[in-house]
Amino acid sequence: MPEPIHQVTFQPDNITVDVYRHGENLLRVAMAAGVHINASCGGNGTCGKCKVIIDQGKVESEHSAKISDEQWEQGYRLACRTKVIDDLIITIPPESRIDNSALKRKTGGQRHILKARDLNTLVQGLTINPAVFKCYLELPPPTADDNMSDLGRLMREIKRAYKYDHISTDFHLLRRLSRVLRQAEWKVTVTLVYNPKGFKLIDLEAGDTTKDNYSIIIDVGTTTVKGQLLNLEECRIAHSNANGTDADNENLCAEDAKYNSQVRFGEDVISRIVHSQKKGGLEELQQAIVGDINDIITQLLKSADIRDDQISHLVIAGNTTMTQLLLGVDPKYIREDPYVPTANFFPPVRAVEIGIKLPDYIHLYVFPQVSSYVGGDIVAGVLGSGIFQREELTLFIDVGTNGEIVLGNADWLVCTSCSAGPAFEGGGVKNGMRAAAGAIEQVRINPETYEPMVITIGSQKTMGICGSGLIDAAAELLLTGIIEPNGKFKRDLDTDRVREGENGWEYVLVYADQTASGIGDVVITEGDLDNLIRTKGAIYAGCRILLESVGLSFADLDKLIIAGGFGQFINLERAITIGLLPEIEPEKFLFVGNGALLGSRLVSFSREMMKDARRVADMMTNIELANNMKFMDEYVAALFLPHTDTAAFPGVMKILKGSG
Amino acid sequence: MAFAAVSEKYSGKMRELEIGSGDKKVVVGGQASMPFCSFDGDLGNKPVVAMEVYDVVDPEWPAAVVDPFKDVINDPIAWAKKDVEEYGAKMICLQLASTDPNGENRDADYAADLVKKVAEAISVPLMVWGSGNVEKDGEVLAKVCEACEGMNLLIGPAVEENYKKIAANALGYGHAVVSQSPIDVNMAKQMNILIGNLGLPLEKIIMEPSTGALGYGVEYTYSVMERISLAALAQNDEKMQCPIINDMGKECWKSREVKLTDKEEPSFGPDIEKRGVLWEAMTAVDMLLSGANVLIMRNPHAVKLTEEIIDELM
Repeated sequence: MPEPIHQVTFQPDNITVDVYRHGENLLRVAMAAGVHINASCGGNGTCGKCKVIIDQGKVESEHSAKISDEQWEQGYRLACRTKVIDDLIITIPPESRIDNSALKRKTGGQRHILKARDLNTLVQGLTINPAVFKCYLELPPPTADDNMSDLGRLMREIKRAYKYDHISTDFHLLRRLSRVLRQAEWKVTVTLVYNPKGFKLIDLEAGDTTKDNYSIIIDVGTTTVKGQLLNLEECRIAHSNANGTDADNENLCAEDAKYNSQVRFGEDVISRIVHSQKKGGLEELQQAIVGDINDIITQLLKSADIRDDQISHLVIAGNTTMTQLLLGVDPKYIREDPYVPTANFFPPVRAVEIGIKLPDYIHLYVFPQVSSYVGGDIVAGVLGSGIFQREELTLFIDVGTNGEIVLGNADWLVCTSCSAGPAFEGGGVKNGMRAAAGAIEQVRINPETYEPMVITIGSQKTMGICGSGLIDAAAELLLTGIIEPNGKFKRDLDTDRVREGENGWEYVLVYADQTASGIGDVVITEGDLDNLIRTKGAIYAGCRILLESVGLSFADLDKLIIAGGFGQFINLERAITIGLLPEIEPEKFLFVGNGALLGSRLVSFSREMMKDARRVADMMTNIELANNMKFMDEYVAALFLPHTDTAAFPGVMKILKGSG
Repeated sequence: MAFAAVSEKYSGKMRELEIGSGDKKVVVGGQASMPFCSFDGDLGNKPVVAMEVYDVVDPEWPAAVVDPFKDVINDPIAWAKKDVEEYGAKMICLQLASTDPNGENRDADYAADLVKKVAEAISVPLMVWGSGNVEKDGEVLAKVCEACEGMNLLIGPAVEENYKKIAANALGYGHAVVSQSPIDVNMAKQMNILIGNLGLPLEKIIMEPSTGALGYGVEYTYSVMERISLAALAQNDEKMQCPIINDMGKECWKSREVKLTDKEEPSFGPDIEKRGVLWEAMTAVDMLLSGANVLIMRNPHAVKLTEEIIDELM
């Protein structure tokens, strides 16, 4: 644990919390401390409800129009616009608490926020040697005595200078080889690709371009497509003198995400496969996803100010269906018993061949698949989280439109997949959205007044709610007794926030006057809660069945790793409260964020990881839930908050009894 | 070596449920073994058959269930009395079919008044069953609870959509509740938890797992009931230790097999009445064998046959 930099004490609750970052936002500090401050605009400074009084200590704060000059003099500040730069004593005035009564629910104590970290540290013995790399060469020009062919000359020099031998050559390169060598006056940079069969020469550029070696990695999800641009050249440098600095963050040049436009053909993989069987359907789907990838690549290049010829490598991880659709491989048999994919290992393919707008020398590395419903994104996650290297018994859960679950350690891995639904990525939720700016990511609800405290990503005007916000919201609604354990609203509470809307009963998180224009009231409906319960139920049931299939239970786990597009972090207690995660020791949990990108990054940086990816895919034994009679039973048992088996959640039940 | 019979020892026990009050009281449940396995543990109270009385009869009813009540079929109070006095009914289930908005749509006041009169007219405990329209049942049964305060009637069915209204009123006016769930062991438990969360003690709940007649899904009901019983007894799951009731009469008597004549289906034989009676009694035995504590039945002969079987097995 890092040392705390500042301490903040909140009065009148007298709760003190450590702050680990200079300049941390005061509203977030209050949220982390479990101190309720009214905040209805998501933290963008427009509602003016989070007024606090700074009794002691220095802050940096914007002078908002919501605070009069007189109040400013008295030390009033808006918590959401205030940075902590000193030890503080803060009083929350009555108007920000709504009433003076102390909260019934216990505040303070240890809180477990799981933050998505860039976790190269999870993998042991990571050697940095990208599979796609560049070498600068100065060749002696040919003479009457040394009249070897241009290609032979190039190979000779590569072998002499870098000791690489038996290199194959990409045919397309030969057509321009002679001209480039002469125009460059024999000073050139070659791009080589490593693959298990040897090296391949794919590009030749004039001059020294070794600094321009970038990789694009893409997670092709059923609902969301996410891309990152990595600097392969600097990752080498950053790692060779890394002193506790997070190398990844420095190498991450740009990031972009968008919804998979295949969504218009169906929300889940099954409906996409059905569409692919219609006339022209496969082409439509293939073009849709390629279009998304091209959009993301364009955006990445733009935001990092890089030309496409500076890119050397493209890594893609997706589930089996997404991978086959992207490559234009008919996915028909994925959904037919006994559910067999076309291939687990796809050979590298030229990116232009499938319509990706990148120079023709760039090859696409596709993560290997395990089965029809456990794909390359999961192999990437298992790779990135280092499960395959450790003795500890680990359960890895990737929460996406499909919930994929992997159990095992260095010796064995079993996996399964269950249809979870896109709730955590914003699908099937009225105001749901991806974890992007303006998405509600944290929610607390005052148990007496039922007033919410919400924080949005980037403290922007509220646009909607993302996965982590949804978990928070559902847990808070349950803890405050606004909903029953079956996810239905109590209709007789003394609050206007619970009301009958056009989609049935709902709770208003943020009223329209505090949301971004055109959004209207941001609510959570009974339908949203149903979807959330189904999603969490499928995942929990899948975990139980997978564990049971090898004779284990949650109590046997040494580690539980969660991946998925929830947002930057999940509040562990809240995730357990709704029964998404089991009630086991908090120290055993680890949240890795996007698992597909994590593994893709490693494969970009290290050719050994490419070998390991193949090994991991080979190692995983798939267990099919479609034929499992017990799954349905476990699933229905999990369609309750936290769970029908209340004995599995003793801590949650205790809290619920205490607050009820 | 002498033969030693193997016996199962269970850690859990079904709760007892009292229906009715004073000298009209009947106690059901309380078993500590699977049905009729007296060598494993206490069988608890004898299962009870409740005879149905309708406030309006569907013209589609076969003769086998019309003829025995011909003289009283338009008078639910007389019908209830006849069941008790002539057929020896140990409990009456008043089916408030006329309150269905898709039928006669009689109001809650009518229903409350009728229930009170029937309850007062008979010497056995009364159970009151709604029309199955969830919204209307909430309204009607709430009123019934109020009108019959303190009589400890059995009121139902309470389902996910209307349990709050029914259970809250049962709690307020001192009645027991039927918690009905869609043929799934986990949903049965969830309903009990939800009703329990309202403050109604589990001692006041009986479960209706959704009943299918012989030939119409009886095996599903059987499995769910067996699993409820095992969860209650073997796993000592206190949320599952409520007794079980089956609303089976109406399921049996709408089946194709009890209505077809031998002209329509020669292989069924000419004795249509006997066929119907056996169909209902067979369904009843299936339910008893999987853990039923209360059965709701229609034909007096089927009731008699079922009670004889219970007496022989216990």
